[in-house]
Amino acid sequence: MGSDGDDDAPLLLDAKAKRMRDLLSSFYAPNPSMPSHSHTDSSKHSSPDDINSSSFDPNHYMNILANNSNLEGLLKRHVDMAAEIKNLDTDLQMLVYENYNKFISATDTIKRMKSNILGMEGNMEYLLDKSRSDSVNTSLFEKREHIEKLHRTCNLLRKVQFIYDLPDRLGKCIKSEAYADAVRFYTGAMPIFKAYGDSSFHDCKRASDEAIAIIVKNLEGKLFSDSEPIQVRAEAALLLKQLNFPVENLKAKLLERLEHSFKDSQLNPEEIKNASPSAHEVAIREFAEAIRAFRVIFPDSETQLVEIAKDLITRDFVITEEYVTTRICATDLLGVLRVIWNESLLMDEVLQEEALSNHFLEGAKAAVKLYVESSFSQLLLDISDCLLKVLKRDEAEEYSLQVARDASTKLALQGGRNILLDVCKILDDDSGIIDKLRELIIDWVQEGLQDFFRKLEDQFQSFSGKNNSSATQIHGLTEAAAFAGLVLVLAQLSAFIEQTAIPKINDELAVSFSAGSDRGYEYGPAFIPGDISRKFRSAGEKFLQQYINIRTQRISLLQKKRFATPKWVKHKEPREVHMFVDLFLQELKVIGNEVKQVLPQDTRKHRRSNASSASSKSNSFREEKLLLRSNTQRARSQLLETHLAKLFKQKVEIFTKVEYTQESVVTTIVKLCLKSLQEFVRLQTFNRSGFQQIQLDIQFLRSPLREIVEDEAVMDFLLDEVIVAATERCLDPIPLEAPILDKLIQAKLAKSSDQNTSPSS
Amino acid sequence: MQGASSGIGYGLKYQARCISDVKADTDHTTFLAGTLSLKEENEVHLIRLSSSGTELFCEGLFSHPNEIWDLVSCPFDQRIFSTVYSNGETYGAAIWQIPELYGELNSPQLEKITSLDNHVGKIKCILWWPSGRHDKLISIDEENLYLWSLDVSKKTAQIQSQDSAGMPHKISGGAWDPHDVNSVAATYESSLQLWDVRAMGKTISIECSHVRSVDYHPKRNHVLVTAEHESGIHIWDLRKPKVPIQELPGHTHWTWIVKCNPEYDGMILSAGTDSTVNLWLASLGNDDLSTESQAESPTHWVDPLLNTYSDYEDSIYGLTWSSREPWIFASLSYDGRVVVESVKPFISKK
Repeated sequence: MGSDGDDDAPLLLDAKAKRMRDLLSSFYAPNPSMPSHSHTDSSKHSSPDDINSSSFDPNHYMNILANNSNLEGLLKRHVDMAAEIKNLDTDLQMLVYENYNKFISATDTIKRMKSNILGMEGNMEYLLDKSRSDSVNTSLFEKREHIEKLHRTCNLLRKVQFIYDLPDRLGKCIKSEAYADAVRFYTGAMPIFKAYGDSSFHDCKRASDEAIAIIVKNLEGKLFSDSEPIQVRAEAALLLKQLNFPVENLKAKLLERLEHSFKDSQLNPEEIKNASPSAHEVAIREFAEAIRAFRVIFPDSETQLVEIAKDLITRDFVITEEYVTTRICATDLLGVLRVIWNESLLMDEVLQEEALSNHFLEGAKAAVKLYVESSFSQLLLDISDCLLKVLKRDEAEEYSLQVARDASTKLALQGGRNILLDVCKILDDDSGIIDKLRELIIDWVQEGLQDFFRKLEDQFQSFSGKNNSSATQIHGLTEAAAFAGLVLVLAQLSAFIEQTAIPKINDELAVSFSAGSDRGYEYGPAFIPGDISRKFRSAGEKFLQQYINIRTQRISLLQKKRFATPKWVKHKEPREVHMFVDLFLQELKVIGNEVKQVLPQDTRKHRRSNASSASSKSNSFREEKLLLRSNTQRARSQLLETHLAKLFKQKVEIFTKVEYTQESVVTTIVKLCLKSLQEFVRLQTFNRSGFQQIQLDIQFLRSPLREIVEDEAVMDFLLDEVIVAATERCLDPIPLEAPILDKLIQAKLAKSSDQNTSPSS
Repeated sequence: MQGASSGIGYGLKYQARCISDVKADTDHTTFLAGTLSLKEENEVHLIRLSSSGTELFCEGLFSHPNEIWDLVSCPFDQRIFSTVYSNGETYGAAIWQIPELYGELNSPQLEKITSLDNHVGKIKCILWWPSGRHDKLISIDEENLYLWSLDVSKKTAQIQSQDSAGMPHKISGGAWDPHDVNSVAATYESSLQLWDVRAMGKTISIECSHVRSVDYHPKRNHVLVTAEHESGIHIWDLRKPKVPIQELPGHTHWTWIVKCNPEYDGMILSAGTDSTVNLWLASLGNDDLSTESQAESPTHWVDPLLNTYSDYEDSIYGLTWSSREPWIFASLSYDGRVVVESVKPFISKK
């Protein structure tokens, strides 16, 4: 640096070094452009006497400058220099500012350090002090230990004193009934007694144990006495428990007492009906109180209490169910239910147990269901009884079919409706007992109805099957007749149920029992009136048919005897109308009687009035003609003629549907009997007299039959058919002459009227 | 009615009660019918159903000396048949043979093979064993039952054994068990009585009143059907004779005759004095569990009455299935009208 060569050296500096310097200067330069500018400037005017070098000699520099430059150049240099200096000054200033902050923070730190050290000094001093008091402590230690020992001994002595005093204290407590304190003392002393009771404090322990025994006894007494307030009793229980007394046993005993107490308070449904605050209710209230007390006394006994309460409710329901089966009305049931409901509410209040109300609900469900079922079965029984009276009518005084019919129809309709009304009452009850059961009840009623009608129909069927054809021979004739009556009543009753009872009941059902059913729609309602109606319709038709069958069978038997006994081929000349006709007419009379009692009259206009005369005339004309012809002509042409007659005559509907009217039933029976007569005739062969006998009998039948039969045309046709059949089966069909026929019939009429009058006179 | 138009009719000249299927004729569907006329000359009609099945024509007409109360064709010889006849006062029974070459003769006479002469009372019916060739015959009158040994070639019939019905009741008809050549059922007024032919002794008796007609089930052993005047049709299992397996309502008036279909199980035909023929389908269930199946059946109970044929003018006493074409039956009403009907539409239903 000291040499010129050194001054020239920067020119030789390689680019790298130069750049380094630039970077450095730029770091310190406040304005990056300035140094670079100055630098370029300096590099441009680089000279050995570099102004930036440390070995810069101003004089030397000035000499060079003065030598080398002219004034202008010098001036310019001066300006440059001045500017450069100024620049440097600002730069320096900037640097100072920048670093000032750092200085401040450094100063702060130092200040803080200074204060910390000051605190430390204090601590150090305290430490020193401490070490000084420790030495005092050690000096006092022994004395203090002694004092502590003395204190302990004192405590022990106090305890011993306490224990020795315990029996007395307990005695005092007993006197003042401060059992709680006594128990506290005793339990406090307990550990000591446990440890030393057998040795040092033997007497003491015995004495206090005796005292405690008295206490326990007293406590027990308190617990069991109902007169003591609950709180006291509860306390007693608690204390006993603290004394490790077997409280569970006591509890069991108390529970037993409780159960006993409520067993005495039997629910008496009859009583409920009479006195409004029944004895039972009072008992239950007491019971609830007892339970409440018990619950306070033994807080952990809840489940058992719930069980007891449940038992109580169950028992009540058992009684209720028994009661239900003894024909009660809905209000009675409701009364009982209400009592039990109140009971359960009371229990609920005491026990706050959900299970109880559920239990009640279950019980009520069963009871109501049973009620519905039993009322239906009762009704079934009533109807059955009513019907079966018909069979026993020969025992008591005449029990007419009419009475049976009226009673049974009334029962079927009125009974069914009554049940519905009754159940309605239950439904309408707003006490909230059966809120949850409403839908179920509706279902039960529907099911009950369905079941009831199904059973009723079964019952009818079994009645009608009870006495089938073989049985009629076994039993007496009167009973068989009674049975026929029963069947007839059954028929009418079935028809009535189908046509009147079911629609009416269904209407009522729709009004009061339509509200939702939880059976789900896929099953539909349980009561299907259509189904039941259909059943009863077919049953009714069956019964009606059965009645007709029974009756025709009886007549058929008569006819069979009539045709089986005589030798028709060797029959003697007819002298009078055969007795068989009387029997036949008598049977018909019986039937007419029965039918009149049970079945309604045909309301339609009678065909008899206008058609009778004409048809009978034409028929008798035809018959005469027929008989005359058969007299002379051969049978073949006669057959042809009957065929022709049949062709031209409208085909007579002999077997029409039976209706539930007196006329229809009687007509059907007569028609069947006449048809049978024809068939019987066809199986025989007659001589002339036999044929004439038939002719006479039939002729006689004509007018009485006309009286009772609805459809005369058919009847005449059938009577004619019998004659025709007899003609065909006769070897020599010559009919009786009209006057003789008349005479015989008149004779018969006179005879029968004689018979009719003679018994009355 | 449905069956009205389908029937093929044929008129006999006189009133008639009996028609029989000619079982031995395997080439044609043929029936024999006899008339019942007290005063005219009675006839036996050999009626054949045309091969097209649309027409009935008279194959032969033979005069018969008396009115015919019963007529049965011999099951193994189509030319032989038996009749029960009456002249109004007395009854007779005979075996007849249709003469050969009868088509060529003008008024062919029936050849009487033999008459069964020992009867006193009203003869009811003559039974051939229905299942095949058997040289025995049974004849039933009101009081007695005879077993005959028939020799067609020698034209003789001899009584083998005989039993009386017992005093109080009269026999009304009978049927020979197709499964058992030794068993015969006879109908009484109040019961159905079975006989063992070998010992000529009564075996089982079933209580039922007014039995008019009886028919064995052709396929099922032990099953038979009875028709009763007032109480309809009963189906019995002989192993359980106390209660019927099934009851069918029968007819509005007397049910006169009942016939089991020879082929189709449970198909029963009945005819009655209400001028109708009813076609029933009885559910007989399993052979050995019939009562149980009946207990179950009411749940899916169907009307056993398949059809009623009511196109008749008078009571129907004659009824027979065709054994050659088992879907065809012939009925004969009292006015002498033969009607042949087909039950095919009801078979396809099954």
